[in-house]
Amino acid sequence: MPGVTMKELSKRYGEVGAVQGLSLSVEPGELLALLGPSGCGKTTTLRLVAGFLTPEAGEIWVGDRCLSSPAAVVAPERRRMAMIFQSYALWPHMTVAQNVAYGLRFKPGLARAARDARVREMLRVVQLAGYESRYPGELSGGQQQRVAVARALVVEPEILLLDEPLSNLDANLREEMRFEIRRLHEAFAITTLYVTHDQAEAMVISDRIAVLERGRVVQVGGADEIFLRPRTRFVAEFIGRTNVIEGVAESTDALARGGLRLRVAGGLSPGAPAAVSIRPHDIALAPTGAAPSGPLDNALRGIVKRASFLGDSVDYQVAIAGTDVVLRVVTPAVRRFGAGDAVALTIAPAACVTLGAEGPA
Amino acid sequence: MTRQSRLPRPGLDRSLPVWLAAALVLLFLMALPLGWLVRVSVSQEGGGVTLAHYRAVLADPALRRALGNTLVLAFWVGLASIAVGAPLAWLTARTDLPGKGVLRALVLASFVTPPFLGAFAWVMLAGPNAGLLNTLWRRLTGLDSPLVDIFTMPGLVFVVTLYTFPYVYIMLVNTLALIASDLEEAAAILGAGRLGVALTVTLPLVLPALVSGFILAVLQALALFGSPAILALPAGFHTITTQIWSFFHYPPKIEQAAAFSLPLLLATALLLLVQKRVLGRRGYVAVGGKGGQRRTIALGAWRWPALAAGLAVMACSIVLPYGILAKAALSRAWAQPLTWSNLTLANFTFTFVDYGATQAAIVNTLELGVATATVGAVLVALLAYVATRRLVVGHQVVAFLALAPIVIPGVVLAVALFIAYTRPPFVLYGTLAILFIAYLTKELPTGYAQSDATFRGIPAELEDAGRILGAGRLRILRDVTAPLARSGIIAAWCFIFIGVIRELSASIILFTPATRVMSVVIFDLKEEGQFGAIAVLGLTMLALTFATVALMQRVLGRDMLGARE
Repeated sequence: MPGVTMKELSKRYGEVGAVQGLSLSVEPGELLALLGPSGCGKTTTLRLVAGFLTPEAGEIWVGDRCLSSPAAVVAPERRRMAMIFQSYALWPHMTVAQNVAYGLRFKPGLARAARDARVREMLRVVQLAGYESRYPGELSGGQQQRVAVARALVVEPEILLLDEPLSNLDANLREEMRFEIRRLHEAFAITTLYVTHDQAEAMVISDRIAVLERGRVVQVGGADEIFLRPRTRFVAEFIGRTNVIEGVAESTDALARGGLRLRVAGGLSPGAPAAVSIRPHDIALAPTGAAPSGPLDNALRGIVKRASFLGDSVDYQVAIAGTDVVLRVVTPAVRRFGAGDAVALTIAPAACVTLGAEGPA
Repeated sequence: MTRQSRLPRPGLDRSLPVWLAAALVLLFLMALPLGWLVRVSVSQEGGGVTLAHYRAVLADPALRRALGNTLVLAFWVGLASIAVGAPLAWLTARTDLPGKGVLRALVLASFVTPPFLGAFAWVMLAGPNAGLLNTLWRRLTGLDSPLVDIFTMPGLVFVVTLYTFPYVYIMLVNTLALIASDLEEAAAILGAGRLGVALTVTLPLVLPALVSGFILAVLQALALFGSPAILALPAGFHTITTQIWSFFHYPPKIEQAAAFSLPLLLATALLLLVQKRVLGRRGYVAVGGKGGQRRTIALGAWRWPALAAGLAVMACSIVLPYGILAKAALSRAWAQPLTWSNLTLANFTFTFVDYGATQAAIVNTLELGVATATVGAVLVALLAYVATRRLVVGHQVVAFLALAPIVIPGVVLAVALFIAYTRPPFVLYGTLAILFIAYLTKELPTGYAQSDATFRGIPAELEDAGRILGAGRLRILRDVTAPLARSGIIAAWCFIFIGVIRELSASIILFTPATRVMSVVIFDLKEEGQFGAIAVLGLTMLALTFATVALMQRVLGRDMLGARE
């Protein structure tokens, strides 16, 4: 089971650099999500790996085979990969069984009976036994999705590529299919590259996440690492909601903005402009007068500007006294404040995550 | 890590053969003939370049009149086509008019009816002396003067419009189908009245289609040969196309024909450029998406008058002409009432057995139709595939070249081909090959547009999905693309076939006695006054056409006027 290595890949469309010097490794057997907003180059990257596009610079290696370089590209059909498309790309003129069996036609030495058996087995795995002679047009969206999965897995590819495969499903089905794809990955352990713009999807499905911005990888890591220690403002804001406070570093672990002074996790260069990210649920609210929970915690005062009850939580906007800062705060729905209430805010220094310079790392 | 043997080798540049083939096709179909056309138009006896032929054609008052007549004809046909086509389109697309399906089918029929057949029919209907409507009029009123005279400019405009307004109709009906009622209702809810909505929302949205339809109608009228030849020549006036044709009468004045052709070519190109610019801004009309529902407008008391008006138009375009053709085919004397003694099948035996030219012409027409449609359908499929899948560098140029012949009117194309292929190295004049080239060139744009839509309708992902699973490009072409494109390619075949069997304006210049086709024989029969035989051949041509239309609609699963729903 080989992994995939992308080295300094670049691909332009006209004047636009869709992928610019992208380097990334997918470990053998790993499911890596390429996460980013539309236009960040994630689909271009996937199509480069699939061999549909020729890079202008850089190389793509699978194991010890160089599959793509500006000089030459191994054709998609000789890459031993499989791909699941956003549109599923099922062939409307073929039955479910014919769709799934198609890739097996190119496996030399596979007898027809063996082929049929593998198709049947794979359809059973994706819970579509009995649907062999249906046409794709006669299936629901979720069933079409399963056919696409079966068609890709049945050939036992070295590398599996998925291009936003769940974006055409409705919300409930999407959630269900996330776990389904994760289950199949755990069963087959194929090296997988998964493109998505949905951070929750990436977090559920993948072993590691690579966040892309403007054709480059800005951060790679596990879901928790990316969520808890975002390296840039872009990553912090793209993965979940957050408060970003920009100011000047007073010391290696203190940031000042106007009348606001925050003790942070550390890593600041004194005197330089700096920014920190604070997740809304890492901020505690209490009535004024309550003591801060720890001696080192940041204790702030503010006025609630807006409170939205969301059922299992309350979403506040709190204007911090003496500053121009408005913080988003999410608390359990146990104790509620209303607009105009004065509140005390408590933020642990560890929750103030220092952000690096803007732009790709 | 430098294992050279593992590195992929660069493949052959596959764009090269495609380019060579495209360049070669282009050379034979367009560059060579048009090049010769320009060269001959400025050629001088004994060599050298001269503008004398241009001066000659522009100074001749008779030719200037022909030019003027053409402009008058084209302009009025354009306007009249809007006047007829636009209301019909709106009525059938947006209202609760009864019998919409029938009207739409009749418009389709008039779209595929060869205009020169309509002109013949109207000679029998409204000729000043024997025309059926005029004899009826005389019998009813006792007056001596005819009710209408079709051999006039208004008569010509009337007949040409009957078979040209479908161009406006198609443009408009497909645009109206894209405009969601929400847009109109949004204006209504903001306080606009019915008329206000129509003027401020609907009209601006369809204006590009309207202008574009006008230009298409004008182009048709400019390029038309048959109807002016049948109606204007007896009336004693020429249009550009009939004038160019008469340059080929003995003694032929080829240089002047060339010099007279180029202005027509330039005018056509210019008009198409304008149309492209107008349509280029159409993006905002193609609103649709969610909630793009179109509610029908209730006509109330106006339903029946509106239906009567629509049927009246279609009676002039289809019912009366087809009726008189059928009558002429079945009677000894077409102008006499259809009694038992007047009934005969003699016209059929005369046409198919006794008249020498017919059988060979039918064989020629079918041979040319099948050959052109088959070669053409394959060619446009290849070109459209290469262009939509961006297989070669400069694929936009491929598309442009395939659509370019649309600017060449049939008569001009014929003049150019005549000049190019009556001299070495390619002497094709007198063979079916020159007609084949003319038809192929003329039908290339229509076929290409059809094929382009076909391949755009097949997402490239369907092919990619097969590639990544191990199939090569050719294998995918066979397993995936071809089965999905089949109905579209058959439709392109039908479009080309219909275009070829009715072609007159290029054939009339390029035929020789051995290479006559049906349309040319019909035209010749007119000189002999054989209206019965004209009717028989005309009906045969219509039967062929409608059989092809039926085949195409069956394959496409919709009618050929455009996407509906």
